[in-house]
Formats: sequence, C-alpha cells, structure tokens
Amino acid sequence: MMDQKTRDDLLKLFQSKLNEAMRLYLETCTRCGVCTEACHVHASMGQVKYIAAYRAEIVRRLYKKYFKGRGKIWPSVGEAKALSEMALEELYEAAYSCTGCRRCMVYCPFGIDTQMLMSIAKLLLVGAEMEPEILTLLADTSIEKGKSIDLFKDSFMEGIKRLEAEVVSKWKLEAGETAIPVDVEGADLLYVALAGAHSIIPAAAIFNAAKENWTLSFFEAVNFGAFVGDPAKTKLILDRIVNEAKRLKVKEVCICECGTAYRVMKQLTGKQPFKVSSITEVHARYIREGRIKLDKTRVNGAVTYHDPCQIARNAGVIDEPRYILQHLTEDYRELTDEPRYNWCCGGGGGLVAMGEDTLDFRMKSASVKVDQVNTTGAKILATACENCHAQLGNLNTHYEMGVDVRFLSSMIADALIQSF
Amino acid sequence: MSDDIKVDKVFDLKGLPCPMPVVKVSKGIKEVEIGQVIEAQSTDPGSLTDFPAWARTSGNEILKTEQDDDVIKFYIKRKA
Repeated sequence: MMDQKTRDDLLKLFQSKLNEAMRLYLETCTRCGVCTEACHVHASMGQVKYIAAYRAEIVRRLYKKYFKGRGKIWPSVGEAKALSEMALEELYEAAYSCTGCRRCMVYCPFGIDTQMLMSIAKLLLVGAEMEPEILTLLADTSIEKGKSIDLFKDSFMEGIKRLEAEVVSKWKLEAGETAIPVDVEGADLLYVALAGAHSIIPAAAIFNAAKENWTLSFFEAVNFGAFVGDPAKTKLILDRIVNEAKRLKVKEVCICECGTAYRVMKQLTGKQPFKVSSITEVHARYIREGRIKLDKTRVNGAVTYHDPCQIARNAGVIDEPRYILQHLTEDYRELTDEPRYNWCCGGGGGLVAMGEDTLDFRMKSASVKVDQVNTTGAKILATACENCHAQLGNLNTHYEMGVDVRFLSSMIADALIQSF
Repeated sequence: MSDDIKVDKVFDLKGLPCPMPVVKVSKGIKEVEIGQVIEAQSTDPGSLTDFPAWARTSGNEILKTEQDDDVIKFYIKRKA
C-alpha cells in the first residue's frame, strides 16, 4: 500500500506538470470518440485501453481526485481515482503502449495532446522508481559521458578514426582535408550524431561533398531523458549540446536522423545564438543550392518514405524529404495522401530502446503500418529516424515484407556524383 | 578470447548499432553471477565510449578492451 509521503511526493511531481496547456488538455475532453481510430495501437489491436481518450482518462481521474474541488469532496461523482500502486500500474500500461506520435492530436477537435498527458504518467513512474530500468540506465550512461569529456575523449577519437576510410570511400577528399573534423571552433555547423557508425559515415561524406565548414559533436543526439520522461535528465542531456555549440560558436546545430533528438532540440532549447536543423533539411538545402548532385540510377526499385512522427507531424519537416527523393528516384510512392495523418511505425516513446521486452507488442501494434507500406508496392522503404528504421526493420523481418529499409542520408551518400 | 581472463559468457553483438549493444549487455550481464566475467563483441565504434560510461553508471568493471580491424571486445566483470 502506498504511504502518505510517497503519495505526497508523487503529487508534487504531478503538480509540477500542471501548466495552462496541460490543464486545458485535462479539462477539455468531451469523449466524442474521434481519437478512437486514430491510434495505430487501437487500429491494430482493437482494445479499449489503447484508445487515446482512455489513456488520458487514467491521468485525468487522478487530476480530478487531487486537483479539482469536486473530486476531493465527492470523488464518485467526479470520476476521481486515488493514487495507488494499481493506479501506477495503469499509468505504466498507458504510457508505455503510447509512442507519443500525436496522430490522435491531429484528429482531436480540441487538439488534446496525449503525449503531454503521458508525460505526467512517465514522471510519476520515475518518481515511484517504476519506469523501465533500461531507459534510465541509457539516460544515465549518456549523462556520464557528458560529465567527463576528458575521460572519454581518447576512446571517442579512436572510434572516429575507425570510420575515416569509409567516409573517404563515399567521397574522396583533397590533400589536407579532414574526413571527420571534431572540436573545430568557428565551424559553421555542428553535427550531432548518434553513437553508431551508420549515423556518422554517410553524413560526413555529404558534408564533405557540399564543402560544409562542419564539426562533429562529442555528444550523441538521442535524449533518453525524454524517452523516460525525466525533465531534469532531459535538460542535462540537452545542455551538453547547447554548451558545446556555444563554445564552438557555430551558426547551426544539425541533428542526425533521430526524431526525438530533433524535436527536443528544436522545441525545448529556447532562444539560442544558433539555429537548429534536421539533417534532412540541411540535405535538401544542399541540393537546392547545387552543392551536391545525385545520380538517380543508383536507386533501383520503387521508393516510399515513412515520415517519422517527431520530425514530420510534430516538427513540420514534410516537404524536404520529398524534395530529396525527387532527386533520388523516378518512382516515388506516397504512403498516404496527407503526411500529417501517416501511421506511426510503432517504435517511438522509448519502445525500440527497450529492445526485446517490447518486441511482441511493437509487432502486433503496428500491423496497420505494414498494410500501408505493402499497399504501395515499393521495394525501398526510406526513413529519417533511428527508432523508425529499427522498428521498420523488425516489422520487415516479422511480417516478411520484402522491402529494403534505408536511411535517407545513406541513400543520398550512395548517390553522390563525385565530379560535376 | 583474451589469454589472461577467464570468460564465463560471450555476447555476440556484432552488427548491432548503438545503443543496442549496451541494452543487450545491460540485460545479459545479469545471466552471470557477481564476480564472473562476460566478453561483449561489438563492431560499432560508438561502443568505445558507450561501454565505459555504462560500466561507470551500472557499477560494473571493464577489465580489458581489445580491438582488431573488425571487432571490439570488452571483458566486463559483473560487480553489481
């Protein structure tokens, strides 16, 4: 049974999330049901608990109990519910079956943001130490790397050295040029990648091809603090990049193909002396300015593109990938007439990072995505987000879709024309 | 396998992008007893920073790191 102090501490966390927007989301739902078919989990699995309004209701009942007069005085009429261990289990089920894709939000006539409501659930789980352990561990690992650059600098540089030959194989350099510049003060662009080679090699080749004055960040872009819903850790992970960008006096921070990293950097950093771009926006700009040229014959087969929710629906990068794809293929096929209503891949919100623990759920809850891709008849499924790529790869294997799941940046790097 | 370290379990993480090597080792290390050693084989250069940071965070100890052209091997003693 939950003791009073624990409950009080958790309610303080709840209170910390109650800004005007959140109160509006908590008080506005009319249960019209428009969101019912909007959620890919409900559309794929068909259970009431996966309806967006139901998820929200789990949080809303706690709100009514502790933050509204009627719920305090007459809880049965106010549909209020006490914060208990069972309530926390319900919050877990709601929060970690939601990918935060916000498809329900674009259908909701009031624009209720389920992802924001789930951020209350996630914060309470963090407070009760009931969050997925692996997400906290990954957040802490990320913070640890940021705390002591000197401790990890040598191994970071060693890792970068291992990638240089492959970068040069995609774009030959002139004598004296550096394949992967690091820690360059006064660079125009700071590229924030993921820890993996696949996030650095194609990007580096394209920056070099475009003659960009760039430098690679010491830090990885992904924000596991955001996945686990811990605002303090989210800020710590974010601040490392902001501080590095200021120290190097860059004009632009370019975030790799990672949806959450881009949305968090774009929307939570406030006013800064640099602009924030997704790598897809930067690549589209290079093509538009004639800084890179692409060979369409390198891409074989029809291509479709999965819009990562955090980059497209939630951050507005919709036209740029299509502009790039016009320069990569003659046979591009849309997944949907209106990209804002694209189905989520089913891997967001930290679910992919939770690995095999969520695999069965991720496969079952994204069958509508599989149908959407199969309908196009495309052979190449491009995307621009690490989570989406991993999830789509899992779906491809599980459902034997027979597509080639590709990062957009990797397709660009492979199609670079060396001399023009 | 390192000559001077007795390995109790090997984790083949080759081909996995970060952070999956850390995710799998974090879970997998619980399959051995405290004091035993696992060998984690990764091909992702990001592991070179990820594993030491994870070890510091999780309270485990990297005894040795070996690298050749293709594979990075971490010998990790479970301490927590």
